[in-house]
Amino acid sequence: MMQQLLLQLAPPPAPTLDNFVPGRNAAALQVLRDIAAGSGNERFVYLWGEPGSGRTHLLRGLAQAARARNALYLDGIPENAVADDGVIAIDEVQRLGADDQIRLFDLYNRARAAGGALVASGDAAPAQLALRADLRSRLAWGLAFQLHPLSDAEKAAALRAHAHERALALPEDVIAYLLLHARRDMASLIAILDALDRHSLEQKRLITLPLVRSALEAMKDKPCSTP
Amino acid sequence: MERFWLSCLSRLENELPAQQFNTWIKPLRLDSKTPSGQIALLAPNRFVLDWIKNRYLARIEAMAAEYFSSPIRVSLAMAQTEAAAKPAPASITEPARRRSGGHEKAGLIPEFTFDNFVIGKANQLARAAGLQVSEHPGTSYNPLFVYGGVGLGKTHLIHAVGNNVLAQHPTAKVRYLHAAQYISDVVRAYHQKSFDEFKRYYHSLDLLLIDDIQFFSGKDRTQEEFFYAFNALIEAHKQVIITCDTYPKDISGIEERLKSRFSWGLSVGIEPPEQEMRVAIVQKKAEAISVRLDEEVAFFIAKHIRSNVRELEGALKSVIAFSRFNGKDISLDLAKEALKDLLSVQNRQISIDNIQKTVAEFYKIKISDMHSKKRSRNVARPRQMAMALAKELTQHSLPDIGDAFGNRDHTTVLHACRTIASLREKHTEINHDYHVLEQVLKG
Repeated sequence: MMQQLLLQLAPPPAPTLDNFVPGRNAAALQVLRDIAAGSGNERFVYLWGEPGSGRTHLLRGLAQAARARNALYLDGIPENAVADDGVIAIDEVQRLGADDQIRLFDLYNRARAAGGALVASGDAAPAQLALRADLRSRLAWGLAFQLHPLSDAEKAAALRAHAHERALALPEDVIAYLLLHARRDMASLIAILDALDRHSLEQKRLITLPLVRSALEAMKDKPCSTP
Repeated sequence: MERFWLSCLSRLENELPAQQFNTWIKPLRLDSKTPSGQIALLAPNRFVLDWIKNRYLARIEAMAAEYFSSPIRVSLAMAQTEAAAKPAPASITEPARRRSGGHEKAGLIPEFTFDNFVIGKANQLARAAGLQVSEHPGTSYNPLFVYGGVGLGKTHLIHAVGNNVLAQHPTAKVRYLHAAQYISDVVRAYHQKSFDEFKRYYHSLDLLLIDDIQFFSGKDRTQEEFFYAFNALIEAHKQVIITCDTYPKDISGIEERLKSRFSWGLSVGIEPPEQEMRVAIVQKKAEAISVRLDEEVAFFIAKHIRSNVRELEGALKSVIAFSRFNGKDISLDLAKEALKDLLSVQNRQISIDNIQKTVAEFYKIKISDMHSKKRSRNVARPRQMAMALAKELTQHSLPDIGDAFGNRDHTTVLHACRTIASLREKHTEINHDYHVLEQVLKG
């Protein structure tokens, strides 16, 4: 009961374009801002990168920023998905099954005809996606960006920003410790930080190195889930 | 003369595939008014004329020389009926309407025209056929069946036909749609029980452009409806243009009666563009958006992106976006930088195992040395190199990396990273090794 309450009190901050730490991905971020604002030249964008490079964050952030343009974040394609002149953000295209691929193909063509925008993400460069050739070549048609994971310094900055948003005091030695001891993709780091936040509330202790050590030890057996 | 032509026809019929013979040779007529000692052939249109001139005229002349035992000139001209066929069908001569409205309703993209369709060996026949059909819809080749791989310009071509027809006959009922859309129209008509309306609409078109007909595969109801629409349009001499990813005979999951009808008219293929054409495409696309592009840049893009036109266009967009974002002019170096990610075929997941194996092979040591306790330099240095690469190229935690190298401590990994970093600064060879390994691992 108590744990449930704590979870409800501390919802993770929603990913937005503003709280994305761009690192080397500033150009991609700018293009998405343009799409959200309905300005920019390019309506079709494809983002690829390894897990934790920020694909989902950017797509969710885009959907949030482009609310005024009827933006939709999709993971998988609902049968009745319609494209108009709005914004569609479709995540993890490499996982789409045969039927979903046809739906996305159709969605793409309609968005193109109706003046909409479609931003997709996947785990490989557009030409390397194991998808229908007609869909693959369409994804390669727009602007493609590889998302590069952050450097250690950028990750530290991202953790600081995340902690700041949650009004969490995060000592520098804890950040350094996390970067040396934890999985270093942003999704894992953020998940750990969120778990630490809950842990510190439950234990009524500040986040300090000793607390983090014991918490990471405790987490070792159960792999932390990514948000 | 007549006897020669008949023998020539029968020989060509044996030499050529039936489809080619029927398309090109059969429509030719011998001009009866020609003085003796000459052979004059009449082609039904400019398209056939050009095609015969380029492909078959030499063969016909050789046959004539053989038949008459002396060289003889074979001339080609357009048949007079061509001019007579020009007036448009009655249904499309009503007063002109607003043009833009026509495009929108027709589902046509006004930017896809013949003017900006880049021609090369790969698509010249398809383009010529499209142009011919757009000038004489319903009377030259019906249906026109355009086949080829993805992103080669099939859609551009048929939009160009539609736009050209609308330009000449602003009131023509033109409709472009993707096969998937036709399928959903059928489904909707089925649910709303509005098949009469559906039929009325499709059967009333002057020009139907339908893209990616292979989508009809396995859709029986759609195929049946399309069969009726197709027959109605062809019988009324209304033009039908179809695109597909393969030759009519090879489409799977399509009824035989439809397939055979698809090859009634003319089937033309579009091949992937050769390099010169790719350069031209890149230049034309850049020109269209008023971007200045040096030839060497266009050449670089065309050399590295080979598969299809869409990818070519995507690569050009990346270069332009990179130049705008960084506020630098487009140069060869900038293009290389902009396309770096796109061109490096990323080995999707680089694993620690993979790094250990690659590094061991590179330095000619055993993989087991990656895990061993040996500390001699010839083993320890490669091991440090592999650890540094593992930190750089994977997202594993340092303790995990240490574990993978024979249960070493994370501080050992950290030490290895620092050692390699400082060695790379001092020794160009080690720096070089690092880059080579990084490149091999990234693919």
